[in-house]
Amino acid sequence: MSGQRIDRQTAHTAGLILLAVLLGGCVNATVDEMTYNEPVAGIGESSVVILGRRHKPDYDTEFDFIECIGDHIHSGDPSIEVINEIAFINQFYPWFEPRTAPLQPQTIDRLLQLPPVAARFDEMKLEYMIWIDGNTENTESTGSMSCGIGPGVAGCFGFGTWGTESEYEATIWDFTDQVEVGRVSAQTSGQNYMPAVVVPIPIIAPVQGTACDSLGDQLLEYLSAFH
Amino acid sequence: MLCFTLLAAGCSTKQVVVEGNFPKPLLDPLPITLGVIYPSAFADHEFFDEAKGRADSDWLVKTGEAQVEFWDILFDGMFDEVVHIRDWETVQRRAPEIDGVLIPAIGDLQYTIPTHTNVKIYEIWMRYEFRLVDIAAIHQQEDGALSFNPDERLADWPITAYGKTPTAFLQTDEEAVNLAAVVALRDAGANFVTSFGATPDVAVWLDGIARREQDAARSSNDQAGDPQPVVDSAEASPAEGEADSGEAL
Repeated sequence: MSGQRIDRQTAHTAGLILLAVLLGGCVNATVDEMTYNEPVAGIGESSVVILGRRHKPDYDTEFDFIECIGDHIHSGDPSIEVINEIAFINQFYPWFEPRTAPLQPQTIDRLLQLPPVAARFDEMKLEYMIWIDGNTENTESTGSMSCGIGPGVAGCFGFGTWGTESEYEATIWDFTDQVEVGRVSAQTSGQNYMPAVVVPIPIIAPVQGTACDSLGDQLLEYLSAFH
Repeated sequence: MLCFTLLAAGCSTKQVVVEGNFPKPLLDPLPITLGVIYPSAFADHEFFDEAKGRADSDWLVKTGEAQVEFWDILFDGMFDEVVHIRDWETVQRRAPEIDGVLIPAIGDLQYTIPTHTNVKIYEIWMRYEFRLVDIAAIHQQEDGALSFNPDERLADWPITAYGKTPTAFLQTDEEAVNLAAVVALRDAGANFVTSFGATPDVAVWLDGIARREQDAARSSNDQAGDPQPVVDSAEASPAEGEADSGEAL
């Protein structure tokens, strides 16, 4: 009797694992784009900086997400120089802190009235400033898992699942003309699974990575002459 | 053993000695020689919060060293010359060239961690009190320590600062609180830089310095007549050894 129950439980867990494997990695992505004045010949020797918005009270745009987009653009077109975000913020301290960062392209003028700031921008040959606003969050979770430890044996049994959602918007500023020249947004979501038969096996949906690729592709298409 | 470990973890003190790399501000320095006094309560500042329950930990956040490091870098970039005033000898020797003395203090520090709020953000909030006094307001106490008369201040203004950092995979509470403190320090600097000249009493003081410099330049150009006084009579230094009834630093 108890042997049958264990067999049924094992078959049930195996079914869940199979389902998880089949569903794991499935991410839904929606990308919207609205851009103007595309640099058809590329940006030449000018540079681009990608910055995260961090002035909202309940979230910060992740530094590693910004780095991911920069890497995506640079690997897609190595001629595009993407300035490292942290280095940029430090070089321009305190003008790009959450409290002081410009929220509108027109306010760049105020920064350029400071001679050392204007000189540093000149050195950088900055052509585009791209602001990314958004974040990735885990949503509802269900399932249960129990773990135990005994003399010479330890393990977990159960199944858990939770959702992850990303929502990002990139705003492109033409630095020379001090105007906004486009917005690209990406919304992605996916389900993660954690079946456990002795050892928990996390099957994580690459939600943030997909958002990075989606946004990176659109920005690359805008900035590069070869895409 | 596991239960004991969990119980012990619940009662332990989490300690953070704030550390960070602070950038030099991108500014044209103001043509001012600024004296700076870091009172010991500021230079050794630490914040202790006792655990509210069995599941909580005590928290000890030491910010003093990072405060001094951060504000030194900021002041060095913001003013032509910064004189650290640590003793009476420095006051006497450098008094003629010092335009004003800045004395920072931390009025309040508050923090939250996700276990307190159920929000996945670590936060630090600080309130500073900055006092600007004339070098003549600095006195020596009988025990050799410096003090100043609060009534002789040129300006007195608060600065608030806020830093937050979201939870991250494989990041400890201590690392997150340190990061939030570094963000708060940077925010304090940004607030200080942008509000310094806009603070009414500071603006009056800056105008006075600019006027004195203009007058001095004009009189040296004219090279004739009686020179204008460099120091207003109201700012003349008091006699040495004046009563030490000021606020200890």
